Amino acid sequence: MMNTLLLAAGDNPLAHVLDRNSAITIGGTTLPLSVISLVVGAIVCVGVLMLAASRISTGPASEGNARFVTKGRIAQVIEVLVLTLRDQMLMPVMGERLAKRWLPLLLSLFFFILTLNLFGLVPFADLQELLHVVTGDHAAAEADVAHATSSAVYFGGTATACFSVTLGLAAISFVAIWFQSFRDLGVKGTLEHLCGGPDVVHGPLGLWLVIPIIFAVELAGMFIKPAALAIRLLANMVAGHTLMAVLFGFGAAVLKAGGPIWAAGSITLVAGFFAILITFLELFVAFLQAFIFMFLTAVFISLMAHEDHGHEEHGHDHGHDGQAHAEPAPAH
Amino acid sequence: MLAADAANPMNVEILPLATSVGVALLTVIVISIAVWPKIAKGLDERNEKILGEIKAAEDARAHAKAAQEEFERKLIQAQHDADAMIKEARAQAQNAADALRARSEAELAELKKRANAEMDAARRQAVAELEAHAAELAVSVASKVLGRAIDAKDQKVLVEQSIKEFASTGR
Repeated sequence: MMNTLLLAAGDNPLAHVLDRNSAITIGGTTLPLSVISLVVGAIVCVGVLMLAASRISTGPASEGNARFVTKGRIAQVIEVLVLTLRDQMLMPVMGERLAKRWLPLLLSLFFFILTLNLFGLVPFADLQELLHVVTGDHAAAEADVAHATSSAVYFGGTATACFSVTLGLAAISFVAIWFQSFRDLGVKGTLEHLCGGPDVVHGPLGLWLVIPIIFAVELAGMFIKPAALAIRLLANMVAGHTLMAVLFGFGAAVLKAGGPIWAAGSITLVAGFFAILITFLELFVAFLQAFIFMFLTAVFISLMAHEDHGHEEHGHDHGHDGQAHAEPAPAH
Repeated sequence: MLAADAANPMNVEILPLATSVGVALLTVIVISIAVWPKIAKGLDERNEKILGEIKAAEDARAHAKAAQEEFERKLIQAQHDADAMIKEARAQAQNAADALRARSEAELAELKKRANAEMDAARRQAVAELEAHAAELAVSVASKVLGRAIDAKDQKVLVEQSIKEFASTGR
């Protein structure tokens, strides 16, 4: 059993973090844990939000003024999050028109990613692996150890620590950004935007020399921005969980190196204390990264709008309302 | 080396990628249809309720302020009216008192005059009676002293003399 535990601890902390196959097979295809987490996360996210929506919505008139009060802690937290994100974050950045249009997508993305991130904080997979060891199911335990090839785990892991998942989420942002661009600016306006904006395209002929460079940079930027969203989310989720795995692996490493059990226990206690602290940091990061993904998507979308939200990047000035400008656009 | 050791965090696999896009889109669609309208409606209704309550409170406050100003205005007017009434009442009371005093004084003067007249009359009567009595007495005494009867001329002289003496003694 000890050998199995040591093996389960693994030499590579990433093995505990990265996506791996689950014990579920459909049509001969073994589903990765990330896929199961995505589906379960979506169901939980939709379920919790629907429950919250029913509690946030106005009750029957027979309740009097109490019908306007949100019932339940989770619903109240979700309400606060929605109000803060809508009124304090998205409205000032995007303007009311754009914010109303994109609010459902942006907030859905936020809560979906948040749910997946929070799922990653609960060691569902590790608990199942521990159960296999405790119950003496050696076959399952061995399968757990061979993380990438097979597993006896049905559910767990952090879906957002899988690049394929974050890339998929970023793809939705990518489509939303282009959709906004074609809808608001049109094909001509989008091309103008990619060429540096009307000031450059309709400017002196000498500026035409730089248009190919601007076009290449802008076009690359259109892909790099969503890619950066995907990589940022992945990196933050992987880094935190890897750090946790490293901290918890110290004790096992001591045992593997032939150290005394009291030393391994002492190190595990100290490392466990820091792991608890890191868990709180991870909780914060789970919220922060969900927010950053949503917020940057909102910023990128607003860059493609007629309003000057985001056009400050190129110094364009189309009659902005000035809400989102932390710094003035450079004068031409 | 374990199989997972060789795993690359940046590996892209189709199944998770497609599932991610599909599930996320489905989530967005379901939430957009079934969740956000309810939440937005609830928040908007609450916002309208709060704004309505605030407006009603402001209206009530303005109404109360107007009522208070009207009350204060009426109070000041009432004070002015009361002052005027008090002033008028005092004037009327003063007039009444003056009239009463004048009448009392007149009555007193009349009473005094009448009393003086009565006193004069009484004194004259008393003096006349005294004169007559004194005259009789004097005549009687003189007759006794002189041993004869005195005539009217003597009598008159005696009486006048007696009166003078009487008057000089202050009685």
